[in-house]
Amino acid sequence: MFDVNKIRADFPILERKIGGAPLVYLDSAATSQKPKRVLDAIADFYTKHNANIHRGVHTLSAEATTMVDEAREKVAKFINAKTDEVIFVRNATEGLNLVAYAWARQSLKKNDVVVISLLEHHSNMVPWQIICEEVGAHLHVIEVDDEGRLLLTGTGTTQLTGGKLVVTTGSLESLLDERVKLVAVTAVSNVLGTITPTEEIKKLIKKKSPSAKLLVDGAQMVPHMKTDVTKLGADFMAFSGHKMLGPTGSGVLWGKREILESMKPFLYGGDMIGEVRLTGTTWSGLPNKFEAGTPDIAGIIGLGTAIDYLTSLGMDNIREHEKELIGYALGKMEKFEKKGLVEVFGPRNADERGGVLTFNVKGVHAHDAAQVLDKYGIAVRSGQHCGAPIVERFKTLAMARASFYVYTTKGEIDFLIEKIKEVPKVFSL
Amino acid sequence: MDYKEEIIDHYKHPRNFGDLEEPKISVRENNSSCGDMVEVCGRLTRDGRIHVLRWRGVGCAISTAAASMLSEKVVGMNREDLTGFGEKGVVELLGGEINSGRMRCATLAYRAIIKLFEQ
Repeated sequence: MFDVNKIRADFPILERKIGGAPLVYLDSAATSQKPKRVLDAIADFYTKHNANIHRGVHTLSAEATTMVDEAREKVAKFINAKTDEVIFVRNATEGLNLVAYAWARQSLKKNDVVVISLLEHHSNMVPWQIICEEVGAHLHVIEVDDEGRLLLTGTGTTQLTGGKLVVTTGSLESLLDERVKLVAVTAVSNVLGTITPTEEIKKLIKKKSPSAKLLVDGAQMVPHMKTDVTKLGADFMAFSGHKMLGPTGSGVLWGKREILESMKPFLYGGDMIGEVRLTGTTWSGLPNKFEAGTPDIAGIIGLGTAIDYLTSLGMDNIREHEKELIGYALGKMEKFEKKGLVEVFGPRNADERGGVLTFNVKGVHAHDAAQVLDKYGIAVRSGQHCGAPIVERFKTLAMARASFYVYTTKGEIDFLIEKIKEVPKVFSL
Repeated sequence: MDYKEEIIDHYKHPRNFGDLEEPKISVRENNSSCGDMVEVCGRLTRDGRIHVLRWRGVGCAISTAAASMLSEKVVGMNREDLTGFGEKGVVELLGGEINSGRMRCATLAYRAIIKLFEQ
């Protein structure tokens, strides 16, 4: 059974007071809190096993190496991948950049097309702008409807000019053709919570752009719902450990073995080499080829422990919990919306939305709303959420975002809703 | 952090809000993380002091109040005065209680005004 109160007891930080008020942490989409088990795993590594991996024959090095190998196996099992397809990186951003630099930069040619969506985090948008500019490829951007859902079908495209790139926007269907070599989309929007239909996207790609690769930004999916890369139909997927109860500095790029094998390394250095001679060097096999230098060993071990914890809760239970929370929160906020107090952004159906409630208090800048809520111990994110284009799509400067996770309670949502009512009063509106 | 009455007052009734006719120097400054934008324009005296200053923009209470308060405070200052006033001066002007997350809001207009001297 999914017992939130029991779960909360595992998270020491939830004992914190913010200016005397209990912490109401509603910013898990930015980074999640960490259970004691993960904190202990990190301390245990540094206290008892600290040594570099793949470097020595001594006992500690062998222990550290085994611990990292075990963590890799846990990640692989968690997303139903092969172990050597799991590349440890710092975070999803680094994983996405790895694909941009080590695959796209080598594979894309002039007049090829990269398709992204308006929902993308800057980390799955800016690298593609840069690579397209560099190789002379075109950037296509999938539009969204008024609830922030991707437009899959429909005709009619728009060309945007004014910057260095000429960008075409439209529905996915209208943007796909045989020139498309990569589709890079998020599985869940960090700004609006939109769950994108990756299976339908894959079908359309197969039909209209059979040679295109699919890269999924899994940063907001992997922590919150069961993820199976074989069902996803993707070629690459990146995600961050710190958004799934793991430590900062731990992240994963998953890629299909044959593609990873065909790629050149991203970073050069220790641990990624086969044979080094002064006259030339060969590369190590997967996954080491992409893991130059000493990785965040403690971070990786912590991520492995976070995965144990998530698995013990059950990913389907976590999704059910968050679906219930977002449905509950949307219901309450829509009442406020009818009264003209707030504006809510994103899908209204909990089936199509992760645990992300995005809103503005009418007449109040999101930063000001967040600042007032902070006075009551409520932590929400405000601003453009590294997604300026999607925020602008909804004709606003900034948005406030409350995001939920395994430790979030309905009581906390009630408290948020109650305190949102206080926000306009501060500005005498 | 509480919103002091003075901040709310400047936010709701921004001073020197508007534009100037030519000749003028103008600077536009954005806050990439929150979408705030301020455009300041002014004229300098022959000895390089701010003679008149107007500003326009969109933003939160902190960035708006800071722009409004600065638009009164900086008249008569030269580049050296303004540099000496510094971001610390802006924080004091706002009542001294700006957390690190709001520093970019607080100093948006200041950064624009400094750039007036570079035009």
